[in-house]
Amino acid sequence: MPRKTGLSFISILIFLLVVTTMSEGAFKKEDIKVFKLDNGLKVILYEDHKIPNISYYTFFKVGSRNERPGLTGVSHFIEHMMFNGTQKFGPGEFDRLMEFYGGANNAYTSDDMTAYTDWFPPLALEKMVEMEADRMQGLIFDPEVFESERGVVASERRMGVENNNEAILQENVRATAIMAHPYHWDVIGWMSDILNWRRDEVIQYYRTYYAPNNAVLVVVGDFDSQKTLELIKKYYSSIPSQTPPPPVTTTEPPQMGRKEVVIKKEAQTPSFMVVYHAPKCQDPDFFALSILEKPLLRGESSRLYRRLVRDEQLAISVFGGIEEKIDPYLFTIFVKPRPGVDLDKIEKIIDEELHKVIEQGLTDQEYQKALNLIRSDFYFSLQTNSGKANLLGAAELLFGSYEQLFTLIDRYAQVKREDIPGVARKYFHELNKTVGKLIPQGGNQ
Amino acid sequence: MKRLLTIILALTILLPVITMAVERLPKPEKLVLDNGLTVYFLKNPELPLVSFRMLIPGAGRAFEPQGFDGLASLTTSLLLKGTRTMSAEEIAEALDFMGARLSLSDAEEYAAVSGEALVEHLPRLLQITADCLTSPAFKEDEYKKELARKTDALKSLKDNPGAALRQYFRKAYFGSHPFGQLSSGTESSLKKMSLDEIKKFFASRFRPDTAIMAVVGDIDRDRLFGLLKETIGRWPKPNTAPPSLTIPPLPVPRGRKLILVDKPDATQSYFALGSPGFAVNDKISSAASLMNTLWGGRFTSWLNNELRIKRGLTYGASSSFQSWKDGGLFMASSYTKNDQIGQMLDITFDLLKKAREKGFSQEEAESARNYLLGQFPQTLETNGSKAGAYLRVVFYGLGFDYYDRYLNEITTVQAADLKKAALRLLPEKDFVLVVVGKADEVRKILSKYGQFQEKKITDPDF
Repeated sequence: MPRKTGLSFISILIFLLVVTTMSEGAFKKEDIKVFKLDNGLKVILYEDHKIPNISYYTFFKVGSRNERPGLTGVSHFIEHMMFNGTQKFGPGEFDRLMEFYGGANNAYTSDDMTAYTDWFPPLALEKMVEMEADRMQGLIFDPEVFESERGVVASERRMGVENNNEAILQENVRATAIMAHPYHWDVIGWMSDILNWRRDEVIQYYRTYYAPNNAVLVVVGDFDSQKTLELIKKYYSSIPSQTPPPPVTTTEPPQMGRKEVVIKKEAQTPSFMVVYHAPKCQDPDFFALSILEKPLLRGESSRLYRRLVRDEQLAISVFGGIEEKIDPYLFTIFVKPRPGVDLDKIEKIIDEELHKVIEQGLTDQEYQKALNLIRSDFYFSLQTNSGKANLLGAAELLFGSYEQLFTLIDRYAQVKREDIPGVARKYFHELNKTVGKLIPQGGNQ
Repeated sequence: MKRLLTIILALTILLPVITMAVERLPKPEKLVLDNGLTVYFLKNPELPLVSFRMLIPGAGRAFEPQGFDGLASLTTSLLLKGTRTMSAEEIAEALDFMGARLSLSDAEEYAAVSGEALVEHLPRLLQITADCLTSPAFKEDEYKKELARKTDALKSLKDNPGAALRQYFRKAYFGSHPFGQLSSGTESSLKKMSLDEIKKFFASRFRPDTAIMAVVGDIDRDRLFGLLKETIGRWPKPNTAPPSLTIPPLPVPRGRKLILVDKPDATQSYFALGSPGFAVNDKISSAASLMNTLWGGRFTSWLNNELRIKRGLTYGASSSFQSWKDGGLFMASSYTKNDQIGQMLDITFDLLKKAREKGFSQEEAESARNYLLGQFPQTLETNGSKAGAYLRVVFYGLGFDYYDRYLNEITTVQAADLKKAALRLLPEKDFVLVVVGKADEVRKILSKYGQFQEKKITDPDF
């Protein structure tokens, strides 16, 4: 078919375009300055003077992946406690001073990392460097504040999980699919652990993981690199490095058959999801599955949307895919079914669609669409200082080096369309699958 | 996550302000197409991207016929579901293939179009956008699918107490005023909805001559102008006079209006408290946004400090102002365990009283000024946000020097002005309070605030 030839030609063009833009565009690897302090702190700086603002992102290599039963959720709890006082700056002072200087911030914890994201005007730089360095080692964990913050996290769990049907189902499915690896539990942790964390254990955890040799600092925005590096040295150099944290050695054993988890709960609408064990992000298969995810799940042109939402009208929405994780995690297909539909039928259709991919692969058009989406997503993220800081940090922590960011798109483009069915066959099979259903009780059912 | 980002978002969307340094909204170039569509343009060659936004005044949900909640929303979603030349699938496929984004939505006063793509895909994206706006197919089967999806989404919405609260509050506060129209629709409105109503709404409300558009990105003026002429420029201007954009005065609560929505499986109670705000061009806006920053607009605000930081009652508590051409709304909200809702409301009322009676310190005023000025630059960082700012300035008739003036005002606001703003804008006796929670556990606690009208979440409508 002539169409085929045409498309391959376009794909070569786009590949060339990517390579050229990545080497000659505004955001270049050569403009990034990288330093390592003697205590092991890695510093990544990128100057961008378009707006008078700085994104100052601190990444710690710790997340719920590093936890154990009894201490689940503690990485996220420490993220909260990081705003609650050191010897030098009392409880609440970090936020109060930061906002006084015109700054704002947020923070997030994932399975793999904890990130502190600050945005502030250039004038606030020294104060922010001082306060960020200070809380890397100086948290006091005031017992009263500790208890109050425990309540905040409990409220966050009640809001985010217990009053959210999708989240309840997701937590159950994750815990069913993954039985040994710490990805078994959600980042928020189990409620009984939240209510019982001991202060001394939390402090020990903080000492171990909040060390300069376990952290990466990414600064993007309106600053002078040399001066900023001097400030960073001034405030961070005295923080001692720690014994590197123990590696996570638990490996998830292969699943040996289909699993199913059923939640019965008061609700007006059901929820449904299917997950398959999937590779870690540094595995070559990750890129093939990430390409496959787009024509399968992304947008209204995707196969599952067309089948489940448009044609068969069994669902309100469908989404999911593979996530970038340090260790093998899950490929998720989340469906919001219409009330009263047969959930087994939804599962059957998903099976059929995955089977089609295994047997026939993707069309040229679908393959090209995936690469286009990956490329446009990338550029949309580069529009902001914080987008750049996030991408640099994620590349450093998940893919091993910030430099990986500049070859990621090429690595996607290196996946051949013909490789995809084989990779799909490897992961999308019955033994590797867990199904979750939330079935409404009462209400309109 | 430490906190939800809604606080900052609310602040920046509603009341953009400008930094003390160089960043101002650059003045755009203005182009008028033959069909009357006005386009504002700024070139930004930094990345190979282009974003555009469009406002269609009078096509928002405030102009739906009474009782037809969701009509504007259904109209905008159907515009992407097929034209004379493309099926819904073809539109979706074309957009996804390019990795482009195109969305249509309804606000109260207008319908909005938002698109962005890699610059090489802009011609096709504009072509599709124009096709959707000029020759929608409004097919019966697509309509039925959208309606069914909306009906189901409404059920799903009621499973989420935070989302349900916002709808209940809107209805309680605005009642039959046009701003009480809900984008989600209601059970009754979706039942009487018809494709004819949608066609009628589209024909009478969507037109190029009153619409405004902004384009920002890596494209030359002449090339863009050429593309626009061939695409959106072919959207015909109707011969009829534009429909009236008048909206009746916003309702003003008298006394307390109290509503309790029973959600028997809720482990937390969610509240929203509201009272009149101010119009976009009201002179109080700079003082009000500083006052709100301190009272409930940022992380260390009084409200979040007392409810979350000091007491751990909640994950988040915040307040915001929303402003329109002819008026506005103040709203405070949070959530906590069912048995703590009384403590939470007591503290909230105390803080309202404290702001009205004692006001704020000079140091607090300075902190709020720094905060608003310091956080401003990011609000105009992307092509899309610049395009949005142009339309806001034009739609509300603020002038392109709006942000400069606003900057000056922010720097001059003093503590005394904040107290004045609190006295005018924070509620004392007249307000609407809606609580969604487990009625059996909260009914008694709430009774001290007055007589609550009770609703069941499983009952139709809000």
